[in-house]
Parts: sequence; structure tokens; C-alpha cells
Amino acid sequence: MLTRRQFLANSAMGAATLLIWPKLTFAATGSDTRFLFVLLRGGLDGLESVPPYGDPGYQQIRGALALSPSAQKPAHKLDNVFALHPSFDYAAQLYAQGQFMPVVAAAPPYWGRSHFQAQNCVENGTAKPDGAQTGWLNRCIACMPGVDGLALAAVMPLTMRGPAKVETWSPPLPTEVNPILLQRLQPLYAADARLAAPFARAIAQQNDSPVPENALKPGAGTMAMGKPGNKKQGGLPLMMGAAGGFMGKSDGPRVAFVEDDGWDTHANEAAIVTRKIVELDAGLKAFHQAIGPIWNRTIVIVATEFGRTAHINGTGGTDHGTGGSMFLAGGALRGGRVAGNWPGIGAGELYQDRDVHATTDFRSVFKGVLAAHLGMPESLLESKVFPGSAAAEPMEGLVAASRVAA
Amino acid sequence: MNTAGNAATAAVNRFGLGAKPGELASVRDPREWLLAQVSRGPDGGPFFAGLPSSLDYLREEAQLAMTRREIKQGGRRAFLFGAMQAAPPDDGDANAEALKRALQPYREEERQQLLAEAAARYRVAVTTDTPFVERLVHFWSNHFAVSVDKHPARLLAAPMEREAIRPHVTGRFADMLLAVETHPAMLLYLDNARSVGPNSPLGRRIQARLARKGDADEGKAGGLNENLGREVMELHTVGVNAGYTQADVTEFSRALTGWSIPFPRDFANGNVPASAFVFRVNAHEPGSRRVMGRTFSEGGFEQGRAILAFLARQPATAKHLSLQLARHFVSDDPPPSLVERMARSYLDHDTDLAAVYRTLVESPEAWGGAARKFRTPQDFVIASLRAAQIDVGDRPQPVLGLLMNMGEPLFDPRSPAGFPDSSANWIDPDALWKRVQAAEALSARVAELNTQPFALAQDILGPLLDEDTAQAIRRAESTRQAHATLFACPAFQWRA
Repeated sequence: MLTRRQFLANSAMGAATLLIWPKLTFAATGSDTRFLFVLLRGGLDGLESVPPYGDPGYQQIRGALALSPSAQKPAHKLDNVFALHPSFDYAAQLYAQGQFMPVVAAAPPYWGRSHFQAQNCVENGTAKPDGAQTGWLNRCIACMPGVDGLALAAVMPLTMRGPAKVETWSPPLPTEVNPILLQRLQPLYAADARLAAPFARAIAQQNDSPVPENALKPGAGTMAMGKPGNKKQGGLPLMMGAAGGFMGKSDGPRVAFVEDDGWDTHANEAAIVTRKIVELDAGLKAFHQAIGPIWNRTIVIVATEFGRTAHINGTGGTDHGTGGSMFLAGGALRGGRVAGNWPGIGAGELYQDRDVHATTDFRSVFKGVLAAHLGMPESLLESKVFPGSAAAEPMEGLVAASRVAA
Repeated sequence: MNTAGNAATAAVNRFGLGAKPGELASVRDPREWLLAQVSRGPDGGPFFAGLPSSLDYLREEAQLAMTRREIKQGGRRAFLFGAMQAAPPDDGDANAEALKRALQPYREEERQQLLAEAAARYRVAVTTDTPFVERLVHFWSNHFAVSVDKHPARLLAAPMEREAIRPHVTGRFADMLLAVETHPAMLLYLDNARSVGPNSPLGRRIQARLARKGDADEGKAGGLNENLGREVMELHTVGVNAGYTQADVTEFSRALTGWSIPFPRDFANGNVPASAFVFRVNAHEPGSRRVMGRTFSEGGFEQGRAILAFLARQPATAKHLSLQLARHFVSDDPPPSLVERMARSYLDHDTDLAAVYRTLVESPEAWGGAARKFRTPQDFVIASLRAAQIDVGDRPQPVLGLLMNMGEPLFDPRSPAGFPDSSANWIDPDALWKRVQAAEALSARVAELNTQPFALAQDILGPLLDEDTAQAIRRAESTRQAHATLFACPAFQWRA
């Protein structure tokens, strides 16, 4: 029996392969840059992911959970105050090349400590959990004529909901499709006026899968594993790798979204954060490798809905807090530095005596990237993408001029 | 390609859940077939017997919360004790392990219950002889969407459908609305359970305490929560363009303060609550309220109830609901004349849904050539299961896995707006590819004695089975491939 690939290569359909993404007109929106937004649901601990080992309060407040470049398992030293979690091996390499940058003490404008409401704010781009029924990234795409968005998710996330055309992608089911079945279906779908074009693109997409075949096998949302509430569909390396695969094509989507959960570390935090950062680090690497040369025209933002309490709780974890860390990466980034204003974590410096204070509004970072990297005019940023955000001025100097000029 | 069908295929596919074997042939008068189902009402079915009530689930949650607290408190003491000696970092880990172990039986029990609820729901859908009413149950359940990605609501979404939607599906909308907005699933999902009137006795106590402490504490700070009030107006009743203001939302939300559920401590105190709805007079904002130009005098619970009754009878609500129903049953852009006729019927019959359904079924627009809908993932899965009479049994995991992977996980739309209901949201290349894969997966579950796939295709597709599709099924290399072709063919993807 033919494999699916052989079949497609031999068939007329394969010869007439449609491009997955239609040709885009870039004239309207400047140079052909790419932007990926990664949302880590659950609340990543900023003091664990970007340990402020040089802050005199840190060792005291974190005790046994404190990380530092001089520990037995050394954190990656960034400067005299901050380091990166020991598992950020790839990110540390990018940092050395000026292509990675943490933003410390950042938060969405909502400081209420509810996952649901904070995620709503990160996604809808307003200061209120019900401030908009659409997502800021969708509204951003709606302002860019000819640009398509891609959400790597089975269910359209709020970030990507709205008037602009956004497609979803998630790992295929493990079920093999008989090539003969496809052969029989093709003329039937070709005769259905509404379904003909999307079906042809579906076939082309399979012919030109963004993900290595072997990456899809383990745990890729198998039918037998489907459980209520189980949203695990491959994890960050698979999904970020797939995002890179799509975005790395010359006519690929310019704006994409990836999400992950499992970052809510109320107990046994050290082990969980280590495991999750290994995944995120591998995700960055997979994305970089898959997107190839277009990496140089790309910026990635990784955000989470809030930071966590400065103190350790009674179960070796931390509870919902306020200021946390964001990460930017990409060849177009002016990185290799730590951004944000560190408020300190000593006596009297914590927000409500428990959390790292937030000194950077997420929207400043989003706006800084959208303006300088995607060429979004400030008027649209204020009126359409982030209404009511005038106080959060776009962060300056995020883009590496030399690399983008190309 | 023939996707026009006729009145009988429309009744079975567009109004029903897709044909069971023999069903299409049994439809003599399509309108009568549908209206008789409305008269019979929802399928009670044997499958729901023995499932816990919402109150049972809340009691379970209370027990879980108590266990969790006991272990955490014990753990904290152990950790502090350890910290005084040598700060062994493993204490937290050990405690987390203990917590995990202790909660394991609860989690397993919960998993089994979620599966049992899902199994019952899909077994009814696959077997029911009132598929029009069952589709209406699913429609209203999505209209009043509760998303289980919000943790506290996860156990209660299925019972809400059984307890608040199903009993009223052919009754008055006003009654369904009250049943839903007093259901613990909705009160938890849209945060009303802990909404406190600032001038209520409880609100004043909280404010005094906060003034002493000088700050607010997460989750414990009492205050007005407008989430439910807003969504009732925007999504459940009058709709976003009905001309109401922020002041209306706030006033309505004040009236809803005190609409709550039994909390864990209510079970712990030995006062076993009699109902899964609790009106907390202590948290209720005193005073009269003005909503959309009407004043509602103080009256505790009755005040909120009166506002709901008022909202249910607004012309804007009639129009909003009629448009959604017509969009669901007729086409993405239904004829305005049909929507208006349904809305008039709704108002003339005091929100009686059976009257609205009758108007829909008896309107010529509902049977026109342009009337058709694309099957959502759930429509597709249920139609496949019904066609081949695949018994879900007590293992619904494969069905749930398919729905999740196809982008319509059960009770998980991630938004109070529910899953979208127009074709554009469901027709995309990735979705069509997964549909072919799902057809392959489902074909593997067709019972082996089902050896006449072509006859089955004729039985369930009737006039929708065009010559090319018939040939593709006849020429399939195995019965399994024939079933996969049937499920995956374009004619099967439409409710036509």
C-alpha cells in the first residue's frame, strides 16, 4: 500500500498542491515581519524563572527555593542582579546573542489574582475581565489588510477571537487515513461548492505538514486518551515547532498564537517549574529551528497571567501574586539585556506585603512590539487594539534595527 | 452534487440529530413528525437514572475542600517545624505528595462521575426517538453556556442541563431562565455566588474589616460582581444591542446579590442545605432597583426574580432568541420575516417555547431551498453514532476525545457565549482533515454485523445520496472503508 505521502506525490492532487496560505500583500504593513505570542496559563513564578539573585532580599525570602549562578545547579547569570532558571539552556544561548530578553515585574493591568479574570485581561487587552469579547491579537490582525492569523489550538482562544480571519491548527488525530479513501473523497468534495477549496487546502496541508511525522506520534491527543478536561495536545515543543513550521514559509502566517497550561505551582514548585521550563526552552529551540532564516524577522512574546507570592507557602509552592516575568525572543529583538524596572523585594517593597510589585503594564510591551516590529500606527494601537491604554506607553527600543533592515 | 434533500431529510437532519436506521423512511408528514415530538417533551430516558444531583456534587466538593484544608494546615505546621530546625526543602514536597495521595480517591470518583454524565448524554442522543427535542436541549444548553475550564463549575455543567434546561425545553422560556440563573453551575461560573451588596449587612462588615487592615485580600474581599448580571442581559435575554447601559447592568447585579449556593461551611455546620440554591439575605443589597426604565421595589429574592421575568418578556429578548433559533435550525442568515414571526409568537404566548417551535416548523421559510446548516463537530459525531447505532456504553472517552480534538469539547466553549453557530466558524482546512480522520476512527467502531453499508447509506441519506457518493461507498474495499466513506462524504457534513 502506498503511504499517504507517496499517494499524494503521485496523484494529480499532489501535483496541483495549493499553497497552505494565500499570497499576502505586505505593502500595506511594511516589511514581512513575524510575531508569535505564547500564553502560559496558570501563573509562572517570576522569582523562580528570572531569579534576582543580586537582590539582598531574595535569599532571605526564598530560602531553600532560591536560585543563583553560584548554586550547585547554577542559574544562568544575566547581569549582577538577575539570572535565568538553570533549565533555560537554550534561552541563555539566545541571550548571549542578543536574541532573548526577560521583562521583570510585569503584569496585565488587572491585579485581582484570579486566573480566569487575569487571563481574560491578558487576552482581551483591556483592564477589565469583561472589557471586550474579542482578543487584542485578532484586533491587531484586523488592522493589517491581507494578513492572516493562526491559532495553534483546537478551540479558538479569546486572544484570537474577533472580526479578523484566523485559522486554527492542532495536531491531527493519530488515526491513519487510508489514501484510497482520500482518493474517493476528492471528487466528491470538488463538487461541493462550499467545501471544495478548504478540502483541497486540507489535503495540501497534510502533504506539507509543518511538523515532523515522528513528533506527532507520542501523546498527540490520542483518541483513547481523551478525557474530560484533558487539554494536553502535544505540549510546547510540538506546538511551537509547528508554529515555526507554518511561519517559516515565505507566505506563512505573520501572526500566530500558542498556549500552554500547567504553570500553577501551589505545591512542590521547584520540580514543576523545572519540568515546565525545560518544555518552554525546548519550545523556543523547536520554533527557532522550524522557522529557519525567517527567525531574523521574528519576535516572540511569552507571557503568563500573573506572578506569584514572594514568600513560599506551606506546601513548597507559591500562591497567586502580581508582578511576574515576560520573555521576548527572536532574531529581530534587541535583547541580551533585562528590561523592566525592578521594584525590589525587601521590607516594604512588596505589593500588599506579599507580591512582587508590577512596574510594567503588559500592554506597553505588546504595543512596543506591534508598533516597531509590525508597523502598527499608534492611532490604531490606541483606538482599536488596546483601547483605553494611553497610560501604558509603548516600550521603546525593542527591535534590533540592523537585523530588520534586511 | 445533491444537498437539497427534501422536507423529510430536513426534518431528520436539520431539525433532528441525523437519521437512525429506519427513521427517515418513517417520516410521513415532516411537520407533524416534529410537532409530535414537541408534544411528547424531552426524553427522560433510563440513562439519567441514578446520576447525582447538583446538591450531591456540592456536598462532595465540600468534603474535598475540608480534606484539602486539613492536610494543608497539617502540612504547614510540619513545614514550619522543619524550618525552625534545618529548613529541609523536602517538607513541602512530602506534604504535596500527601495531599495528592489523600485527594486521589476524590479525583478518581470525580472522573468517573464526569464520564457517567457524558455517557448518559450521548447514549440519549444516539437512541432517542425525539431527536428534535434533544437538539433543542443541546441548543439551550449552549445558549446558557457554562464552560468547565472554570474549575468550580466543572462538575455542575452536565447536571445544569439535566435539571434546568431539560425540564423546560418545551415549556416557558421565563421558567428556564429562572431555573438556569438559580442553578449553582451558572452562579459559580459567572461569579455571582460570592457577589456581595456593598450596603448589605455582610458588605458593611467586610468594608469595616478592610478599612482596619488597609487592603484587600484575594477572593475574600466581598463586593459586587457584575459578571452574571451583564451576561444575562447580553447573552441570555435582551442581547447586546438592546440599548441598556452600564447603569442597568450594575442595578441588575445589585438585585442579584445574595443569589448563591451552599458553601462548604454550610455542610460542615451540620445544617444540610435542602437546595443547591441559597438566597443569602445577609449579602443582598437593600433598596429598590431601576433596570431598563422600570423600578423594582425591594423584596429580597423576589426582586431579582421580577427583573428576570421582566427581561424574559422584552421584545428584544423575543427577537434575540428567535434569531438564534432560526440561525440554528434554518441557515446562518435566516430570513427576517421568519424571525419576526417567531418573535411575535413568543410574546403572544407569554414566552412559551412550544409555540415558537410550532411557528418555526409551520413557516415556509424553514423549508426553503436555501435552508441548510453545516454540521458542527458534535453534530457530526452524534449523526455518525446514530447512523450506525454505535453504543457509547459506559465508556464515552473516545467520543469525548474526538470532540476535544475537533474543537468542540463537551461543556468547554471557554466563553459564556458558547460555541459559535455559523458555518464559517467550523469550515476550515484543519477541521475538514480532522473530520476525515474522525470518520476513519468511527468506522472502526461500527458493529461487525453491520455488513450492508450501502443499504445503510440509502437508509440514512435518502435523496441526499447522489450517484457519485453512492458509487464511492459501493466501491469501498471493505465494509469499514465504506462506513468511513459514508461518514466522511460531503453529503454527510450538511444538515440538509
